[in-house]
Amino acid sequence: MRFHFPIFEFPPEAEALRAEVRAFVTEELAAGRWKKGGDFASNYDPAFSQRIGARGWLGMTWPKRYCGHERTMLDRLVVTEELLAASAPVAAHWIGDRQSGPLLLRYGSEAQRTEFLPPLARGEIFFSIGMSEPDSGSDLASVRTRATKVDGGWTLSGRKVWTTFAHRNHYAIVLARTGDAGAQRHAGLAQFIVDLKSPQVNARPIVNMAGQKEFNEVVFDDAFVPDDRLVGEPGGGWTQVTSELAFERSGPERYLSSIRLVEAALACAREKPTPRVREALGRMSAKLMALRTMSLAVAAQLQNGEAPNLEASLIKDLGNAFEREQIAVFRALASDLPKHSDDYLSALAQTTVYSPSWTLRGGTREVLRGIVARGLGLR
Amino acid sequence: MSIAPVLATDPLVEEAASRAFSDLAEKWFAGKVTRENLLTAVEQLGFAEAAPGDDSGAWLAAAAIIRAQARAAAPIDMALLLATGDRAAAIAHDPSEYFCAATSPMPASASAHAALSLGRCLQIGAALGAALELSIRYAQDRKQFGRALAQFQAIQHSLALAAEEVAACTTITDLALACAEREGIGSPRLPALLDAAALVAGHAVNVVYDMTHQVHGAIGFTQEYALHRHSLDLLRWRDHLHLARGGDIGCAERLGDAALAAGSAWRAVTANMTPGATP
Repeated sequence: MRFHFPIFEFPPEAEALRAEVRAFVTEELAAGRWKKGGDFASNYDPAFSQRIGARGWLGMTWPKRYCGHERTMLDRLVVTEELLAASAPVAAHWIGDRQSGPLLLRYGSEAQRTEFLPPLARGEIFFSIGMSEPDSGSDLASVRTRATKVDGGWTLSGRKVWTTFAHRNHYAIVLARTGDAGAQRHAGLAQFIVDLKSPQVNARPIVNMAGQKEFNEVVFDDAFVPDDRLVGEPGGGWTQVTSELAFERSGPERYLSSIRLVEAALACAREKPTPRVREALGRMSAKLMALRTMSLAVAAQLQNGEAPNLEASLIKDLGNAFEREQIAVFRALASDLPKHSDDYLSALAQTTVYSPSWTLRGGTREVLRGIVARGLGLR
Repeated sequence: MSIAPVLATDPLVEEAASRAFSDLAEKWFAGKVTRENLLTAVEQLGFAEAAPGDDSGAWLAAAAIIRAQARAAAPIDMALLLATGDRAAAIAHDPSEYFCAATSPMPASASAHAALSLGRCLQIGAALGAALELSIRYAQDRKQFGRALAQFQAIQHSLALAAEEVAACTTITDLALACAEREGIGSPRLPALLDAAALVAGHAVNVVYDMTHQVHGAIGFTQEYALHRHSLDLLRWRDHLHLARGGDIGCAERLGDAALAAGSAWRAVTANMTPGATP
């Protein structure tokens, strides 16, 4: 076969950690510290991020010399999937923990790692992704934000869009053009760590369909970026960006976005479940088991230093379709539920309105299917 | 720190089984052997002895044999033979016909029942892969409007969707296989994994049956081209799998009941997927 999902399992230590995370979540909910809300990209709570940082649940796989915890990708997966399954407010730290930190570990300088990884692991600083632009969405290699070499650094000019929480986060890793692409359109790109509080960087929230200020337009008005904020080499931007994708596409945030709705419907139905509700819960559970096994395979492959990009794209497309399907299923079952809790109604509204973003963010389904097709040898 | 996968398949066993069943299938399709010849050959190769008992540790070789038979579309039902030992039933079906599997034998014991379900899922995963592989090669070779079908985005996306279902089916099946291999066919969490695998397999058959035939056009709908062998196998095995487990709705209701009993679909799923757990 042209793709590979070997079977891995969580070791007993990871299952012990799961019990710990569940106890923590139960205690947080009982104390009313947050309400179950939006998904990984919208439920923003810096104090929560600091609390889980203090527990050692951020930067879990990073070396201890950068305040990481040297645990495995599987331990990290336990924490992320349990927090997502509980609809906990993970948005503030999500990007830094998932991909900015690992990017700096792989391509960043020693000084960058020493400066940024410890506060990332403590949940004190938060990162955004600066990739899309007004004229560059799925066609990321066409970015036009330009970094021009000046004495001691670079000046950045251009604009990024859909930059989630750029108005509240501290830094963005910005993909910009440092040279001409020439015949190779993936050449001449570089990534920079950009201070979002800099006066020449202006983040303006773009109110989304749900009426929320989450993503932004970010304008760089000849913003000065010191030399030591260049990540990796000029010209290495494309390779670096694509190396983030397996981390970005295979995680549980790609199939758990509607789990809150499922659990809320289950709670409403529990006393008197109809056969249709039982069937829907079962069909959902079966697919969830398959997706979770696939996601675990990719996490383990990443731990082993492999680059399962095809597998990661495949999971995201399948997972997004799954999480969107559940909305239709558990909306249609509304009349089978003896009561409609506030949690069910709010989860139904929230998932329904947000669901179009799921199959766009982190790679559209069309791009993902193209990657899968390339892996199959079709292009 | 590197993490080892749970199932370490033996490439030599896989290759030997693949070659053997390809040869047998080739002879059968060339009209050179009878079904009884096939059965004798399989017995001489020792494949009929690979029946995994109730203990753990016997499933890897059996899985390799079952998958090889299904990939080659060799008309000897190795899942049935290994799960029930019923030699006559293993060659009773007409490979060129699709019929509702309600009359196919159902094993009596719980362990043979689980073994048959696992065998069916392994067969389905392998046949799905074979149908997908044929379709990929066909799309690369066949030209229309001056270019290969593979160059059309509509074709690429259809086959990508098919591949996603194949991946889901083989992965959940391998999870059930790992459970049987390590905890034995009587593992208390295996029935839930098999229910899940049966549901995922059923959906995968629907999607792959649709997409692979659509990509092939009329040639796929003939008995002279190989796709139909996999398609008919898939339809038969899916029906038999679902009937054996009380229908796909029965599978779904049991999993749903586990979620309701746990008070959380997520907790039921994680419990079923935890090695050694007794849900």
